[in-house]
Order: sequence, then C-alpha cells, then structure tokens
Amino acid sequence: MSTTTPRRQLRLGNFLRAVPAWTYIILSAAVVLPPVAWIVSTSLKTASGTLEFPPRWIPAPFSSEGYVGLLTSTNIRFFANSLIYAGGSIVLALAICIPAAYVATRYRSRRMETLMTGILVLSMVPAIVVFIALYSMFVKTALINTYPMMIIVYTAIICGQTILFLRNFIENIPVEIEEAAAIDGCSRMQILWRIILPLIRPGIAAVAIFIFVFVWNDFLVGTVLATTEDMKTVQNGIVRYITTGFGSFWGLFAAFIVVAFIPVLSIFLAFQRWFVAGMTSGGVKG
Amino acid sequence: MVWLYVLPVSAVFLFVFVGPLIYTAWTALHETTYYQIGKFSGLNSFVRLFSDSDLPSRIWTTLVFSLGALVIALPAGLLSAIVLNNLHRFKRSVRSLFLLPWLMSQATAGTIWLWFLNPNYGPASAITKSLGFGPTDVFSSPTSALVAVTLMTAWWSYPQAMLLFLGALQTIPEELRESLKVDGGGIWHGLVNITLPYLRNTIVSVVVVLLMLYVQMVTIILVTTRGGPIGSTETLSMRVYNQMFDKFDLSGASATAILLFAVNIALTLVAIRFRRKESL
Repeated sequence: MSTTTPRRQLRLGNFLRAVPAWTYIILSAAVVLPPVAWIVSTSLKTASGTLEFPPRWIPAPFSSEGYVGLLTSTNIRFFANSLIYAGGSIVLALAICIPAAYVATRYRSRRMETLMTGILVLSMVPAIVVFIALYSMFVKTALINTYPMMIIVYTAIICGQTILFLRNFIENIPVEIEEAAAIDGCSRMQILWRIILPLIRPGIAAVAIFIFVFVWNDFLVGTVLATTEDMKTVQNGIVRYITTGFGSFWGLFAAFIVVAFIPVLSIFLAFQRWFVAGMTSGGVKG
Repeated sequence: MVWLYVLPVSAVFLFVFVGPLIYTAWTALHETTYYQIGKFSGLNSFVRLFSDSDLPSRIWTTLVFSLGALVIALPAGLLSAIVLNNLHRFKRSVRSLFLLPWLMSQATAGTIWLWFLNPNYGPASAITKSLGFGPTDVFSSPTSALVAVTLMTAWWSYPQAMLLFLGALQTIPEELRESLKVDGGGIWHGLVNITLPYLRNTIVSVVVVLLMLYVQMVTIILVTTRGGPIGSTETLSMRVYNQMFDKFDLSGASATAILLFAVNIALTLVAIRFRRKESL
C-alpha cells in the first residue's frame, strides 16, 4: 500500500505535466484538420450537395459521384505523366548522382570541393529565375513539352540534395573494404558497382522516396514547361478544376485532391523513417 | 579518370542552371518583344525596374510575406518539435498530425484553403455569417488576401522547420538534460537555459532555409491569388512569373529575376556560414 501512493502521485504529476503539451496538440489539430476534413467531406457529396449553404460536414446523401467522375482520359493522362516524370527522374538522378557522390567523397581535392559547393549553391537558385530562361529557350526549339526535357529539369532541381544525402551514406562505409577490393584487382567502376551500391541501398531508397514525392507534388515545372494539356501533371490537374471550372466541379476537385494525395500518404505511412530522413537531408524544397 | 564520374551531373547543371542564368542576364540587357530578343539596350531594363513605382510595394509585399510566415512557422516548428520530443505516447500519430500540411503539395494546400474559405459555400463563411460578420471574402481585399496567403504558407511550411529542429533536439547530450533534472529546473528553465542556446546555430539555419523558401514561393500564391487583388500579394517571385507569362515582358522579367537571384545569393552566403551537415 505504501508503494502505490507515490506511484499514483507520480502518475498525477506526469498527467499534469502533459497538459500543456496536449493543449498544444489539440490546438494544432484544430488548425491543421478542418480544411482536410472539409475536402474529404466534399469529395463524398453529390454535385448539388457541394453547393449547400450552410454547409454540412457529413455528406447527406453520401455519393461516389466525384470519384467516378475522375475517370476521364485527361485525368488518367495527368497521373500517367506524373508517374513517368517521377520514375524517369529517379532513374536519371540516381544514375548521375551516385557516381558523383562517390568520387566527391573518396577523391577529395580542392577542385572537387569547389565543384560540389558550386552544384549546391546552384541548386538553391530560385526555380522561377531559371524557368523563364528555360521556357523562352524551349519554346523556340522543339524541346518544350517533351518527356526527356521535363525529366532533366526535375533531376537538376533535386540533384544537389541527392548528392549531399548520398555522400553522408558513402562516408560511413569503411574505406578498408574498398582498399581490399582494389588489391584484389577491382577497378574503380567495379568497386562502385559491386561494393558501394549494395551498401548504400537504404540511402538509395530514401532518395528515391524523396524524388518521387518532390516530382509528384511539384506544380511549377508542369505549369511552366508543359504547355499542352497532354503533358501536364497531377498538380496541374488539381488546379485545372478551379481555374477552368464551370458548373459544379467541387466534388470532382475534392475527389481529385484525395486521390492525388493517396500515393504520398501511403509512402509516408509505409516508410516513415526513410521518408523523414530523405526529406530533411536538404534544406529547400519546392 | 575521376572527373568522368562528375561529368553527367555537371552537364545537367550547365544545361539547367548555368546556361539559363547567363541567358537571363543576356535577355535583361536586350530589348525583347514577346520572347524574341531584339537589339542591345544596356541596363535599360534595370533602369525600368528600379524606376517602376510599383517596385517598393512589391519589395514590401515580399518582406511582409516572408517575415510574416517566418514569425509564425519558426516558433510553431520549434514548439512542435519540443512537444514531440518529450512525448511518450501516441508519438507517431502526433508526428503525422504535425506533418500533415507539409505532406500535401503546395498546390493542394493552397486550393483546399481556397475552398474552405469560399465566400459562398465554405464552412468559414458559415461561421462568420452566423456570428453576424458576413461572408469570408478574404481574397477580394488587398490586406486580407496578403494575410491569408502568408498564413497559408506558414501553415504549409512549419513542419519543415519542425523536422530540422527535431533532428537537432535529438543530438542534445543526455548529461545536459540530467544536470537539469538534478538542478530541479522546470520546463521553462530548461528551454531558456539549455534547449535554446544549444539550438542557436540550428535556429539560424532554419531561418535561412525558411526565408529562401518564402522568397521563392510561387505556387501557393499562384493557385490562390495570382498576385492580386491589385498586386497586393505579388512578391518578387510572383512578379517574375506575371511579367513573363501575363505581360510577355521577357527583359523585364529577366531584370526582376536577376534582382531575386541577388537576394537569394545573399541568403545562400549566410546559409554557408552557418552550415550544418543535416540542414543544408
């Protein structure tokens, strides 16, 4: 009996100490959740239901109208495009960044450091600054609205962070392994391919997640460098509903947002740790 | 050859960053009609930029927007990180809650608030109307539009600050916390005397990261107000976009872009000075 009283006091103390924290959490929820809940609610309403005022939080009747209406060839094209851009950027960025990160970590020289700093500084240049030039260069040639160009631009934007992140991984590999391989007659390329690559797999996974989310969530590249509808991205698709919308489009718009968010949300829930690591490796995003 | 390994990356950067930057400087020094470059005009477009009576108000807007979002996102990010770091139960759920705005794209964040604040059908309007204020027509008046865009940007970006702070908080040595417990210091005492001094460099780098983000923010403004009404939410970045794609003024846009680039370089220099491996 004598042991329960202090424990109870301890619990009460913990409880009281947790009050400010939970007050903050509840306040945050009150700021973060309402627009999200409102979108989910809107996506489940009928067309006329979205125009009710005062608004209803719980749809009556429930309707899958919005989601069914999404299945148009234009919308499918938006999703396919974003997948192509994301997939292409992951492949290209890894193909060019892994070798660069490797030599930048293992063959340090002043010139190499200068080059890496240059790449890092350049990747922090505001996107809009280079986009106006890219746009006016591309429209004069046949380069605008092509998959390779879009992929190269996406890749360039995320390269700085990708290299930085991969370098941290490569640094943690003991040099002795590579030295042993070199003595056995491995060339530099073989060392990179057979030894480094398998060892930095978690890093590659985190980078791939980061690139996917970046490309999937990006609005500006698709807006500026894809001028025809058939090259636009998922994010352009969201905004398209409210800029060219006529009649009642809110249900479709909300359903589109929910569907577009599902890939990012599921990746986040499945790979929380890698996701957070990849996303914070570089400072600036978007 | 070691340099072969960095050749592809360098080529991509020359093509996407260096080339366009030179091209931008080049177009700023020439007359342009639509996207055609005309004859050399010296610093004319810069003279035009700095004598534009709108420029001071655009710079003011950029300052209000960036600093406004910063003073909200920075404390919110720090507080969220501290709360999360001291939480023992429901940690994952609370972290997901805090991160939610940032997981969305900027376009999503902008448009869902647009719909939430819709003057005719939105729940915000229902609340203000029932209180007798009339509909929430925030995007039709200059001041409220700027406030709304700033708040939305802070709402979207504070989790990024939180993640950077969280990373730094986890490196606070255990002995420091222990010594605090022995001293019998409270939460406030610990925050002021241990956490904040320990995070000093992190705070500087988070400030720079956020400012860079805000200075180059286009998407949230573009999907909500496009810089309006009457230019009240047109930051420098948004002005570059509008000059280019609304007024088809390539040399004007290039001159503004060069100014924006200069601001960015200044921020980058600060960032490099206070560089920490994880945050830059």
